[in-house]
Amino acid sequence: MIRNRVLLVLAATAVAAALALPFLSFAPNRLLSGRGIALSAVLDLPWGVALLPGVVLLAAPFLRPSKTVLAATVTAAILFAAGLVGLAGQHAAQLAATAAPAARTSFGAGFWIMETAALLAALDGVRRLGLSPPLRIAVGAAALALVAVQVAAGHLDQLSILKEYANQRDVFVAAVVRHGVIVAASLVPTLLVGVPLGVLAQRSRAVGGIVFPVLNVVQTIPSIALFGLLLAPLSALAGALPQLGISGVGLAPAVIALTLYSLLPIVRNIAAGLDGVPDSVRQAARGMGMTPRQIFLRAEVPLALPVFLSGLRITLVQAVGLAAVAALIGAGGLGAIMFQGLFANALDLVLLGAVPVILFAVVVDAALKLLVALVARGAA
Amino acid sequence: MIAFERVTKRFGPWAAVDAVSFTVEEGELCALIGPSGSGKSTALKMINRLIVPDAGTIRVAGEDIARLRPEDLRRRMGYVIQSVGLFPHWTVERNIATVPDLLGWPQARVRDRVTELLELLKLDPRRFRGAFPHQLSGGQQQRVGVARALAAEPRILLMDEPFSALDPITREALQAELATIHRETRTTIVFVTHDMDEALKLANRIAVLDQGRLVQCAPPLEILTRPADDFVRDLVGREEWGLKVLAVETVGQRVRPDGEAAGVPLPSAMPLRRALSEMVARGTDRLPVVDDQGRPAGVLHLADLVRP
Amino acid sequence: MRTVIALTLGLILASGNVQAADAVRVGSKLDAESGLLGTMILQMLEANGIKTENKVQLGPTKIVRSALLAGEIDIYPEYTGNGAFFFNVESDPVWKNAGAGYEKVRQLDQEKNNVVWLKPAPANNTWALAVRKDVAAPNNLATMEDFAKWVAGGGKAKVAASAEFVESPAALPSFQGTYGFTLRPDQILVLAGGDTAATIRAAAEGTSGVNTAMVYGTDGAIAALGLVVMADTKGAQMVYEPAPIVRAAVLEKNPGIKGALEPVFASLDSETLRSLNARISVEGQDVKQVATAYLKSKGFLK
Repeated sequence: MIRNRVLLVLAATAVAAALALPFLSFAPNRLLSGRGIALSAVLDLPWGVALLPGVVLLAAPFLRPSKTVLAATVTAAILFAAGLVGLAGQHAAQLAATAAPAARTSFGAGFWIMETAALLAALDGVRRLGLSPPLRIAVGAAALALVAVQVAAGHLDQLSILKEYANQRDVFVAAVVRHGVIVAASLVPTLLVGVPLGVLAQRSRAVGGIVFPVLNVVQTIPSIALFGLLLAPLSALAGALPQLGISGVGLAPAVIALTLYSLLPIVRNIAAGLDGVPDSVRQAARGMGMTPRQIFLRAEVPLALPVFLSGLRITLVQAVGLAAVAALIGAGGLGAIMFQGLFANALDLVLLGAVPVILFAVVVDAALKLLVALVARGAA
Repeated sequence: MIAFERVTKRFGPWAAVDAVSFTVEEGELCALIGPSGSGKSTALKMINRLIVPDAGTIRVAGEDIARLRPEDLRRRMGYVIQSVGLFPHWTVERNIATVPDLLGWPQARVRDRVTELLELLKLDPRRFRGAFPHQLSGGQQQRVGVARALAAEPRILLMDEPFSALDPITREALQAELATIHRETRTTIVFVTHDMDEALKLANRIAVLDQGRLVQCAPPLEILTRPADDFVRDLVGREEWGLKVLAVETVGQRVRPDGEAAGVPLPSAMPLRRALSEMVARGTDRLPVVDDQGRPAGVLHLADLVRP
Repeated sequence: MRTVIALTLGLILASGNVQAADAVRVGSKLDAESGLLGTMILQMLEANGIKTENKVQLGPTKIVRSALLAGEIDIYPEYTGNGAFFFNVESDPVWKNAGAGYEKVRQLDQEKNNVVWLKPAPANNTWALAVRKDVAAPNNLATMEDFAKWVAGGGKAKVAASAEFVESPAALPSFQGTYGFTLRPDQILVLAGGDTAATIRAAAEGTSGVNTAMVYGTDGAIAALGLVVMADTKGAQMVYEPAPIVRAAVLEKNPGIKGALEPVFASLDSETLRSLNARISVEGQDVKQVATAYLKSKGFLK
């Protein structure tokens, strides 16, 4: 009897990937394609043991989804995911012992599919358990910690992505910080412009009728095109007013472009949040003698806050992704690492830039979900 | 206490309120009644300046309200609306404390007042203080709405069809409580309704509006027995008109001071309609009457109910 | 509150530029060779007591060049041949001559932009075709003339190249015109982007039957992946020699720049640059380490 179809599909996919696709890929140097290495060739002790939790994942689709079974599934999935990484690290170290320093061991298609299946299984379990946001974050942190510990212990050092990291060590932290700065710097003008605009758009149909179509059009402009469009006017401005300290490249166009893209979700969500305030509340507030400012601050803002924070979450996650493109105009950040990798045709360098961006986005998303949950709980 | 002097409000070419003049004395409950579009809500909203008249003056306690800052005016009046409008993100206590907080009352005084009002509206303070609006039934929410309106001890209470959205049983209970509160606090109340029975039950004075014009402003008995025109007569309803008249008068008004009769006595404040119902139920044509203190006050005869 | 926000904004926007005001800001393009040359410039200047600010691998050509002209960076390695595009004189044959091309761009940039071109390295990083060894050897292919004869005689050539290389009149058409051969559309595999690492890899692995790759003269991967460059004996291509270009005002303030850099660039011929590039792109060594190791081995750094 199939009790959990989702889990069954994930397990089947993972098994198929394990059997048919290469787990790792070994190349003599950074540029040439590697030869595939199947999972079966890699299953040695001690890390082979780490795949035992996979048995739970294979059995779980047929068991009644009680809380125990679900918790076991989540735990097994996280352990399995970490185990896959550890197994890869172990084998890479073995290969590196007898190969030239230029040789590279990277994750193969089979690894990626199995890893994704494991993480999705964990997500599925968490969802069915109906965990609260803080608990969900704890599970995610645990999954991350299991891999982080291996990285810190140097167990994964012979994997291609970490070899790239070794080369980029001094600029990596600076790139992460810079990425954060780009996102944070764009947040300030976004809120300064977006919040009043959202309030106005909700109150006046005329304003809304202009603002939303304009922002919709802005959103459709490809980011690289927007950066290009900003280059000329900003350079001209920088030439005319050097005291402003801005330029056509770097932080200024990145912040401006990011702000423009962030406006739509913010404005839309503020308008929606304010729309959701019941009219009877406004009527009663006015009739009781609250000034317009008091009605706004005491009634409308607290009631619109959860929707607004959801909009902020969407905005920030989008900004983290777009900030990567800003590297093309010299803004730095993790995108610079990604593009270096693209230019050098070194896919693991691209991953070195991309994986942190993804993690960054996930962390921001989780943090804001937590904030929304706290606010909703505080208000209700 | 409240005086309308040829007040007019136009929306485009159409006059929602057309040169209306009437007064509400202090301590009175005045019902504004009429069909939809008669201008009763508009008139009410002009008292706390939610709507501003195009012509005419409205005076409260002799003062022209146009001279006051609207927020100050509104904080001196209680306002209850049909959809209640409690703040969903605040507890019952904080909702009730809205106007006192706006006026800067000390916390202790606010707390005591909330307790007092919850008890007045028959809500257990321990149970309801910390509750949130979504946890309450419709009737309970409106009770909180009334409590909130009374919180700052206003001399005037404005109510816009406050009980129309409630089921009949809850509506009756709340009407009775409003009557009690009115009696005890002697607040001036302006009450908008489309239900003539509700008006007849509660009001000291009824103002009938038809398409913005004031047709008649008189006590309930006069509305019943001397309606100004067919419109008022139709509004009252010709069916069971007799029973409506009985509902307005009390036992004390028709009791014969001497004589005796058997049975559980009727209180002299009881409406005659209830008394009739009692007589039918007990199968008798006379019942003893007691006054407010419980002392014998005479006998009520069935024949006196139908005398002209 | 508003002032705080405005100040924060201003600080953040300006933070990119407000640092050690007199440090020489060294930039470069994104590719490995530019990164290497830029890093060498950085290390040589520091070793000679000139304070620097690292803006290496800032962005593509357009961005880096605009940054120099706008005064946002002070020095970066540029290619002589690019002068043709900066000043819109692409059709001038002078670009195909190393010495004359350098002179021309030096003159133009000095006059128009107050930018000084220091002496270039004798390495030509221009477009070329490279054939896989196992095809070049049996057919005795060493120069473009050999290649042209082979193709014209029905040789089974298949070239992996970028769209720009195929379409730009200065590139493939120039080769075809100068050496007298034509490639049929089915003999060309166009790869997106101008990435020679991808074309070299395609030729080395024989993807889709490719045996010839578009390369740049100093690409590190050529020899390492078993390809042979077809020598451009008739000079069909423009010459691209790397040279440090610096804003005149900064050079005046720091005259030591010239003496620090020119010997280093003079030592970088095509062969040397290729091997250095190989260490970076094929072996994945760190650019900084490769730069330092080379500079030390030649005695430029102690």
